[in-house]
Amino acid sequence: MELLPQALMDGILLGGIYITIAIAFSLTYGVMHIIDFAVGEWIMFGAFAGYYLNKVTGLDPFLLLPVVFIMFALVGYLIQPVIHRVLSGNKGNPLLMGLVFTFGLAIMFQGIALTVFGFYSNSTPSVFSEGSFFIEKFGLSLTISSIRLAGLVYALAITAALHYLLKKTNFGLGVRALALNRESAGLMGVNGKQTASLVYGLYVGVSAMTGVLIGCILSVSAQMGTEYTIFAFFVVVLAGMGYLAGVPWAALLLGMVQSIFLIYFNPGHTLLAVFAILYIILLISPRGLFGRGV
Amino acid sequence: MKKRLLCTLALVTSLLVATTLYAADEAVFKVGVVTELSGSLATGGNVTKRGYDLWAQEVNAKGGIDIKGKKYLVKLYYADAQSNPASGAAAAERLITQEKVDFILGPYSSGVTIAVAPVVEKYKIPMITGSAESPLIWSNKFLYTFGTVPPINFTGATPIKTLSELNPAPKTAVILGSNDTFSKASAEAFKTAAEAAKIKVLKFNIVPAGQDLTPLLSAVRGLKPDLIAFGGHDEELIKLVKSLRQIDYTPKALLMHYGVTEPAFVEALGKDANQVFGASVWTNTAKTKSAILWPTAASYDAASMKAFNTPADYTQAGSSAAGIAFQVALQKIGATPGMSEAKRTELIKALEQVNIDTFYGKVKFATSGEYYHANVGMTPLTVQIQNGKTVIVGPKNIQEVPAQYPLTPWKNR
Amino acid sequence: MKDKSIRWGLPILLILIALPAVVQDTFFLRVITEAIMWIGLALAFDVLAGYTGYLNFGHGAFFGLGAYTTAILMMQAHWPFALALPMGGVLAGVGALVAGLPTLRLKGAYFAIATWALSRAVQQLALIMDITGGPDGMRLPSFLNPQFFYYLMLAIVAVTFALLWFLLECSPFGLKLKAIREDDQGAMALGLNPTKLKMQAFILSAVPTGILGGVYAYWITFIDPASTLGDLVSDQALVMVVFGGMGTLVGPVIGALLIFAFKTLFWAYLSDFQLLYLIILGAVIALSVVFIPNGLWGTLRGLRSHKKSEEKKDESLAAKLPQNEGE
Repeated sequence: MELLPQALMDGILLGGIYITIAIAFSLTYGVMHIIDFAVGEWIMFGAFAGYYLNKVTGLDPFLLLPVVFIMFALVGYLIQPVIHRVLSGNKGNPLLMGLVFTFGLAIMFQGIALTVFGFYSNSTPSVFSEGSFFIEKFGLSLTISSIRLAGLVYALAITAALHYLLKKTNFGLGVRALALNRESAGLMGVNGKQTASLVYGLYVGVSAMTGVLIGCILSVSAQMGTEYTIFAFFVVVLAGMGYLAGVPWAALLLGMVQSIFLIYFNPGHTLLAVFAILYIILLISPRGLFGRGV
Repeated sequence: MKKRLLCTLALVTSLLVATTLYAADEAVFKVGVVTELSGSLATGGNVTKRGYDLWAQEVNAKGGIDIKGKKYLVKLYYADAQSNPASGAAAAERLITQEKVDFILGPYSSGVTIAVAPVVEKYKIPMITGSAESPLIWSNKFLYTFGTVPPINFTGATPIKTLSELNPAPKTAVILGSNDTFSKASAEAFKTAAEAAKIKVLKFNIVPAGQDLTPLLSAVRGLKPDLIAFGGHDEELIKLVKSLRQIDYTPKALLMHYGVTEPAFVEALGKDANQVFGASVWTNTAKTKSAILWPTAASYDAASMKAFNTPADYTQAGSSAAGIAFQVALQKIGATPGMSEAKRTELIKALEQVNIDTFYGKVKFATSGEYYHANVGMTPLTVQIQNGKTVIVGPKNIQEVPAQYPLTPWKNR
Repeated sequence: MKDKSIRWGLPILLILIALPAVVQDTFFLRVITEAIMWIGLALAFDVLAGYTGYLNFGHGAFFGLGAYTTAILMMQAHWPFALALPMGGVLAGVGALVAGLPTLRLKGAYFAIATWALSRAVQQLALIMDITGGPDGMRLPSFLNPQFFYYLMLAIVAVTFALLWFLLECSPFGLKLKAIREDDQGAMALGLNPTKLKMQAFILSAVPTGILGGVYAYWITFIDPASTLGDLVSDQALVMVVFGGMGTLVGPVIGALLIFAFKTLFWAYLSDFQLLYLIILGAVIALSVVFIPNGLWGTLRGLRSHKKSEEKKDESLAAKLPQNEGE
């Protein structure tokens, strides 16, 4: 029992990482109806950007976040029209086409990354990676790693920022209209193309920032992408595709399951449990935890 | 347009490659290299390739392999196993039937090696792998397959023994292993050795590969073990140390396997890599003496720095040693390129009798028992990272410096 | 349609049967054997993806299920291969039945990701169980007769192709599936039973895949969770099907042949440029989706036939649809 607070805390901190992986991804799905297979690769590129920028400038990766965001948002903004073309073709199943297209991108990105960065794993240093808080009160002992806490704060900040953007700005109104109904949004004067490009840029930028963070907390390598793609997919599906408000809960659930299993059950069965739980939840509630997915 | 350019490029290169292939001289030993140049195991596969390359370069720089007074150059033919057993088998078959190689330098991973072994068996082509070391390979008793890296269960015991001789010796241990062939076997070897050394194993878990282990380590922290031993691969080792640092638990000793000697481990972790223990069979400071190619471990390391600008690790060294083993056996039976089947059978006999000192250490293949055709000539080492360098801290008789023990807490580094 | 298929199919089959007599080279025979295997896997994948509109990322799980069943029966129960192999297919079919009932209720992306989760769970299961050998995998006795495996693979894939051709192109079954793909509700209104049809398609896709997995295990002599239960089979089959043309039977064959040939040539002669291969493959996939969204075969067919005649054909096909599904 004495481990429970620690288990919960670790689950929350792990969940924080999953929130950052999935939140912008979910938004993009809501607006563009694209399942981006390359999400893990954006994270990977972001992680390398953070790693090298830190090496060159010597600045802390957390200070570099805005730079990485702008760089990658621009890339996303410029790529989006191609994806739009894939999705709006009236041939075949657009969902599938988008999936295959981004799958191709993911393979290509991985090849490029391996060529440029090589095969080795790296790690990005940050001031936060040094310390941790140790709380011992009421017979409980709890350790909180400061870098993971910083990650959670970042996750909540991004979530809040996205929330504000969507609910309180004109841009957000357009995005929501677009997600609801593309044609009528167009009639109401929402520039669909422009908005979708901005959303995709936003998503790529946020994913890249997440990569910087993961580089600090875990590691950086050219082959890291796929792992995060899986988790991104799972969180988004668990939340209900495109249902933004579900993402933090789904991410926390995933983090909790992992943490509880690693501590209380056979750790070797953790991933089996994660996949089995995801599958079962989908069967019970086909549109995600809250039944609110698109 | 870009696509067309790429196509043209591909065509031109393929023509170039084809012409160089056909220009091959008669009096050259054709050496097949089957290893993981792409896919999930490409990191290790490329290290073995460096080892094989360096051997070939050095042999050719010396004018070739001296067979009864006449020198024969060696030429390497690569085939990518793509980290996939089926591709590995196809790769071996291609090298044997298309390129007509005389012998093969084998894959990095055990899984691919097990799939390649029946193919070389079928064509009766000798193969030495410079890296694969799973006990499963040797228990299958393939006649044509050899390995220069000793089996994990052979090497894993040494560091535990070294640790148990320290003062005060660790009394309790938590042993974890990632769920892949190599890591699981290392964790099991650690466990067996720990129990034999009367170290109490508080927790033993095999965990899914690539998983973030922080929550598990939080639980481990509560057990306050003196020793944490972990079997895993490069990225997992880095993540584990970072996790321990993040939850701020410093055991008295932290033990991993070969992986700590990889340059990337020290580079990624910096000062946190210091004092981590590992198991190895070779370091660039190992006191080896040899009359063949490189005289010492240090000279091999220097050659590696010169050729690839990378310090050598045990995998690369083992791979170069695989080439040396072939070279010595070929000289012994006076083989010339384009060996007949009878000559290759003779080569197997000669390999079984190999007993040589190389820069890598003694190479001697077992000819019976559970280590059949694995190299049992080596002395397993206990290594530790000290100031970013790998040093030998055990066994006692070849110790370079005393072990730093217990670990300096993460905070005071 | 039928005459045409015989006109093309028979000579090709005869050539393929005669091939080992001409090609003595065991390496080429191995490559062709693997190419045939991929054709079979792509065809089976297309039953669900192309004809029924369900993207199954768990395709590889059936392959692994067949491989492991065959291996376990041969190694632990000492069954002969001839009996173990069909059981691989049977178990894949049973697996499809058990997994399909709940999973096929999901749609679109949810189905795709649920099957992915399921296949990952199966992979984890193989990693932690003792009977599968865990991460070490299983070794089978080596029976390295290239001709045997060539003919076996050829026979299985040829039978699969013929069966699919008959069911999907020459019988109402294919049309019913397409009806579900286009409009689930509408199909129901026509008196079709989508659940039952989807189940049939799922099993039809799983059984050949499982059998091919069994052949693979005996042929390669070694299986482990990473190579047989990973994403490789599903990913590659998807790429082949999309590149060749979904919802057709010729498309997957063309796609599998071209992608596999490209991959093999690159692998055999340009192995120093392996990374370039990833980049080119990725680019080819992405570009083909942008420029030939119907795949090679679909595009070729589209160029040949006029839109009008296409519509006409669709009408006549619709007329052929039986009003009621006999239950």
